[in-house]
Amino acid sequence: MNRTFADTVFRNGWIYTSNRELPWATCAAVKAGRFVAVGDERDVAALIGEGTKTVDLGGRMAMPGIVDIHNHIMMGGQADLYELRFSNADSVPRIAETLHKAASAAAPGAWIVGGQFGNNLLNEMNTTESCALLDAACLGHPVVLRDDTYHNRWASSAALRLAGVQADTPDPTDGEIGRDLKTGTLTGIMIEAASGLVERALAASGHYTAEMDRAAVARSISVLNTYGVTAFIDAASMQPIMAALKGLDDRGELTAWAVCAMPVVEPGFMFGKAGEDLFALREQYRGAHVKPDYVKVFLDGVPGAKTAAFHEPYLADPVRGCCFRGSTMLTVPDLIRWLGRCEKLGLAAKIHCAGDAAVTQALDAIDVVRSFNGATHLVHQIAHASYIAPDDIKRFAELGVAADLSPIIWYPTVFLEAHKAAMGEERAQRFWPNKDLKAAGALMAGGSDWPVIPIPDPWQGIEGMVTRQNPTGDFPGKSLWAEQALDLATVIDIYTIDAARAAGLGQSIGSIEVGKSADLIVLDQMIFDIPPDQLADTRVEMTFFEGRKVYQRGA
Amino acid sequence: MDTADQIPVTVLTGFLGSGKTTVLNHLLRQPELNGVVAIINEFGEVAVDHLLVESSEDRLALLDNGCVCCSVREDLIETLADLAARRADGRIPPFHRVLVETTGLADPVPVLHTLMTAPDVLSRYRIDGVVATVDAVNGAHTLEAHSEAVRQIAVADRLLVTKTDLASEDALARLEARLAAINPVATRAQVRNGMVDPAKVLDAGLFDPSARSADVVRWFDLASQAANAPHRHADHDCDGADCGHHSHHAHDAGVSSYSLIIDEPIQREAFARWLDYVAALRGEDLLRFKAIVHVAEQPDAPVVVHGVQHVFHPPITLASWPSADRRSRLVFIVRGIPRQIIENTLCKFGAVSRAAIQRSAA
Repeated sequence: MNRTFADTVFRNGWIYTSNRELPWATCAAVKAGRFVAVGDERDVAALIGEGTKTVDLGGRMAMPGIVDIHNHIMMGGQADLYELRFSNADSVPRIAETLHKAASAAAPGAWIVGGQFGNNLLNEMNTTESCALLDAACLGHPVVLRDDTYHNRWASSAALRLAGVQADTPDPTDGEIGRDLKTGTLTGIMIEAASGLVERALAASGHYTAEMDRAAVARSISVLNTYGVTAFIDAASMQPIMAALKGLDDRGELTAWAVCAMPVVEPGFMFGKAGEDLFALREQYRGAHVKPDYVKVFLDGVPGAKTAAFHEPYLADPVRGCCFRGSTMLTVPDLIRWLGRCEKLGLAAKIHCAGDAAVTQALDAIDVVRSFNGATHLVHQIAHASYIAPDDIKRFAELGVAADLSPIIWYPTVFLEAHKAAMGEERAQRFWPNKDLKAAGALMAGGSDWPVIPIPDPWQGIEGMVTRQNPTGDFPGKSLWAEQALDLATVIDIYTIDAARAAGLGQSIGSIEVGKSADLIVLDQMIFDIPPDQLADTRVEMTFFEGRKVYQRGA
Repeated sequence: MDTADQIPVTVLTGFLGSGKTTVLNHLLRQPELNGVVAIINEFGEVAVDHLLVESSEDRLALLDNGCVCCSVREDLIETLADLAARRADGRIPPFHRVLVETTGLADPVPVLHTLMTAPDVLSRYRIDGVVATVDAVNGAHTLEAHSEAVRQIAVADRLLVTKTDLASEDALARLEARLAAINPVATRAQVRNGMVDPAKVLDAGLFDPSARSADVVRWFDLASQAANAPHRHADHDCDGADCGHHSHHAHDAGVSSYSLIIDEPIQREAFARWLDYVAALRGEDLLRFKAIVHVAEQPDAPVVVHGVQHVFHPPITLASWPSADRRSRLVFIVRGIPRQIIENTLCKFGAVSRAAIQRSAA
């Protein structure tokens, strides 16, 4: 192979680069996975040799691979490949029926994992009768079913036995072991932290092998590749996830840049090592494309469940009374200690802040850290930056904090309806001040939060950021705070170069520039020439990761 | 127990071969040290044999001058509690002072943290001071090779330069300058064959609530001047953002000292919050911090605050200010924390107005 020739040359395209210096090109050349030339025919002609593969873009648009700033990379693939699926609209008898079929086919003694049942069924399931019905369907298999919030479980008697849960087992902190209200016997329902008892038994059983974990992650990433995503942050990286990513990378099978955000404490929906114990292991999971360089902090919950922390109270309800504002899970000094520790370790933080008071608290803590530690190359992120007090908007840029825009709900959705019920329509509508953030110079990054939204399709997010209307046709004619719409070029930055910067990879990915990773996607339409309400129809024709084709539409 | 009954504890630290044990042997023979308990590393090292009059257990030795030697247990807290119990029930004679010898390689900081924070210890004992021995011959090399040695110097109240008869005047002067650069606040004395005047070692007295506030304020005024004085060999004088980037030395790189005078009452809660932030974020680099504070909520009684890295001694309230000068004095020995950051954060989070901050005691 001649050293002076490119491996691949893209020609005859409309290549949008996300590089302000040279926004458009027609050609780009790749060698050893990096762009070596970006421009027109004259720039690449000399690089085309005998062994060079040329890709004729046929006048189509290409752009940098998309960065998903927030997803949960194991879950989607795992559900697809290994879990018993049923709808959250299914009744208990219907679930029992599905379960019975699966149990009949399962190998003796094998665990069955399934989901997601509607959380509205929890009370009905928490009875001796439902327990008997489901247990009978299990045919003695250990079974764990997750609800649609991912926070609660139903476990069969065999699963409870393996988890060591008995009638007299005390409830764990922040959790409840379901017991029939009349008889007091175990029902298999496991609320919040109690889920961990069963999940840990499942993990200890070896039900999910390392090979299965790798396959699940590979499946998820192949889904991302179909949408043009070539980099992501896994927003709660536990050991099995990092092991799977590293395993794929070592085999040369990882087709996206993977940044891992390790939880500082065990999240409510995943179980295993967290915090210092987990950080200590990070170098063993680092790979050429696996970057365990973030931590995840959960500061509050979600507005719909009134667990997000707000400055102003939620609407009064019988349980919480008139003046409930939600609360944060860490104090400012605690958060400062965590951030200080993380900065010493060279880790940036992704801080979950769904309510405006949580955002304020995170910014306050980062302000303290910056004041004592001075400037840093680390980019901390506020995740789900959506309800933000007006005075806090400018602080993102002042403190160098990135806004993680996820999940994709910046247009009317069922989430918004739940928020209206929780805090009233007017306040609920002041959701996602994207334009204000942009005007104040904030670094912004688009993300999906998959599987919180069922498909990790960034094109819906891109359209929605431009139109502030629901791209699926739900909620027709309705807009969410239309003044906060952004122009398409800004939105593409938010999904490419700006997200790369927010992920700490701005020097190596996110734009089509010489020296950067050759992550390029080819589209079926010229997105700058179409009406905005057609953006979500964009299909990715091909996805290249480090110059290698990892997805071909229709192939 | 009344605070006046708290038994003073002197911590004796110093690198291997720095003459620490020789100093200890000398001190234990001085009449001023009668009735002292020495907590030592190993019996073999201290020449107790000919003094020994009684040895009931292998951990404990009673010397003929009434001193008790005991070897430290796994845990200093336990050792001190055990001594207090033995004293209470008469198994050992009443003692009025404790000397703790740290191992040569040891970082003295954990010992200080124990003495500053363990409730059982605080109720019966108080830190009198930290004494560090430095060998005039090998000291300079040790400081370069071992960061623990720098920390020993930085946390000390009193520095004893030993084996001065074996070093050239020139080398001695260079070492002294270097010690002054790391810790200008500590007193320094030269020692031959361990022969040190007990008065140069004991009663550093800053953790003593019964201390005369005039003495404490005078100490702070001298320390403030010393901390802010330019040091001859101080390539570590540290005022700007690139603090600590231009040092010749391997391990005392970036160690510097400075003081602030604050000419307005300080809000208790805001100051406590600021201390909490410093401890959380820069504690590792805050080698030693001492302050006498004019607290707005109790203007007549000065509060003395001591910190070693991220740990602070419970504040000590003195009876009164000795004069109308009630300015707060803050003295810092730090590694790579620019003065600017201390000043800025005090203003931002400690509710101190910038105009009230003065840089010299004058």
